[in-house]
Amino acid sequence: MILTVHLHTILQKETPEGLQNRVEVNMPAGSTLGDLLASLEITQHPDSLLLAVNGRVADIDQVLRPGDQVNLMPAISGG
Amino acid sequence: MEVWRIDLQKQEFQKEPTRETWQHLGGRGLLARILLDEVDPTCEPLGPGNRLVFAPGLLVGHMLSSCDRISVGAKSPLTGGIKESNAGGRTGLHMTKLGIKALILEGISEPGSWWILHLSNQGARFEFAGELIGKGVYESARLLLDRYGEKAAIALIGPGGEMRLSSAGIQNLDKDRVPSRINARGGLGAVMGSKGLKAIVIDDSGGEKPPIANLPAFRAAQKEFNKALMEHPQTRIYADYGTAAMSRMSNGFGGLPTRNFSKGQFQGVETISGEYMRQLLLSRGGESETTHACMAGCTIRCSNVFGGDDGKSIVSPLEYETIGLLGSNLEISSLDTIARLNWEINDLGLDTIEVGAALGVAAEAGWMEFGNSERAMDLLQEIRRGSPLGRVLGNGAAITGRVFGVERVPVVKGQAMSAYEPRAIKGTGVTYATSPQGADHTAGLTIRAKIDHLDPEGQVALSRGVQINMAGYDTLGACSFAGFGFAASPLTIRDLLNARYNWNVGEDILQALGRDTIKLEREFNHRAGFTSAQDRLPEYMRREMLPPHNAVFDVPDEELDGIFDW
Repeated sequence: MILTVHLHTILQKETPEGLQNRVEVNMPAGSTLGDLLASLEITQHPDSLLLAVNGRVADIDQVLRPGDQVNLMPAISGG
Repeated sequence: MEVWRIDLQKQEFQKEPTRETWQHLGGRGLLARILLDEVDPTCEPLGPGNRLVFAPGLLVGHMLSSCDRISVGAKSPLTGGIKESNAGGRTGLHMTKLGIKALILEGISEPGSWWILHLSNQGARFEFAGELIGKGVYESARLLLDRYGEKAAIALIGPGGEMRLSSAGIQNLDKDRVPSRINARGGLGAVMGSKGLKAIVIDDSGGEKPPIANLPAFRAAQKEFNKALMEHPQTRIYADYGTAAMSRMSNGFGGLPTRNFSKGQFQGVETISGEYMRQLLLSRGGESETTHACMAGCTIRCSNVFGGDDGKSIVSPLEYETIGLLGSNLEISSLDTIARLNWEINDLGLDTIEVGAALGVAAEAGWMEFGNSERAMDLLQEIRRGSPLGRVLGNGAAITGRVFGVERVPVVKGQAMSAYEPRAIKGTGVTYATSPQGADHTAGLTIRAKIDHLDPEGQVALSRGVQINMAGYDTLGACSFAGFGFAASPLTIRDLLNARYNWNVGEDILQALGRDTIKLEREFNHRAGFTSAQDRLPEYMRREMLPPHNAVFDVPDEELDGIFDW
């Protein structure tokens, strides 16, 4: 299944085309948010991240569905 | 530490010992106590009965990271209730070096006369401010620094405060002498203007740092707090991206105020994001800085200097709330434009949140097209000219909506919301509704919580906890971002206070200070005539669905009314 993943701040990756702030990821059906973090080699502790699926806060056990919009946000307290 | 009392009408000054009931308070908590003790809550905010009070927080004076903030308070001309607004910069530090526990300004000067209040270890004196009147904040600050020396701390108002506009704030010098650290919210600059006071200049030479009862214990707690702060993952993000990192995060939750709070996502979010700003500033170089401290000794350094194409500073800092209210809220997607609008509003001495919200309402009323940055700048010039239109806008979003017949006005208790849509971040909506301060994210922002922000359940309890903590931090003089350092080393607040004052407070001192503060503030508002009817979001937010989640604010009223039944 194809997911759209929005990467925030320190999770954005340098590429020859510039910083990559969004990636399309192909994951096996039944994958969880935790699986997605592992596949993207994100090493931050999940407690320090805010994870959102389709605009709602989610935890790493949440099972993902095709077309989900995922936001991976190193957590901060506001502005 | 003593209370310095200034009578503007008589131009008299006296020092008083701190009352016993004030001694264990500072910052926001002390303001609440003083205002309740000394100000008739039904008084006219711009009349002689109101008092403007400056109070450094309990931990101010020691260059403890992110803990040197100055709280300013009065009865607010914007909300009609109690108001506290705090800022960084150097004012708090200098006041404590003169031994000032609180500075109370009472009475009003002879109409039409303008004064500078000079404070030093020789006491207080008044000097004419006539030549500064009508000048912007940046020029005024420069003239004051030329006159009083580069080491002075200054708190001043701009043309907006002189016009007694309800969005006027009080601006303080940062550590680099830039007058952009603003006690922004609630019209405190109008109160200062009503008293005929253009500026307060503080010369701390000959002063001493406040005494510390147990220095080794204080240093040990400071070390532990600093370590927790420096090791916290948020510190790096704030240092690299500043508060602008919130743009994409709020947008991700569908909570980025867009087009006068009618949508929760903005198509132009990428170019107003912290990530984009960082790349832009790094490429521009020159005076641009992606990380910058607003207070000496701050280790987080979340501020910035926003330089233009030529590398010269346009404004410092450029913060998320400003980006939200002047950017997405007006559908302006250029950081350069937002920075120029920000500079202009700073120079007028106004609150960017309130003015941004007022412009959004004005756009809805047809005074500008959304996205038209030139027109937005023209409207700011109306404020500078003091035209009737400009004065309407400068009195904030609520007045603007009333005058132009707009229902969609994002305010609570007359004060504009910050850059978090309460229908999408409902815990923050609870804070907006119930805080005695009016709509204000600094009273209790909940976006960091791991909760479904769209679900009404659990939001009241969440907001209650955060509001109590924030009122506690505001009483300590701590920046809200010091909070994650304290959260990771929770006993250090107790240890710092006990070491500083030779007290014996317990580990729940932060919450005790917070609860007492909110209780005092609510009592002031109650005596001013507030009821639960004022603890509500605008009606349209319960009715109009907010894209993309089509959310309404649906936290029940009875839950809101019970929030402070602890």
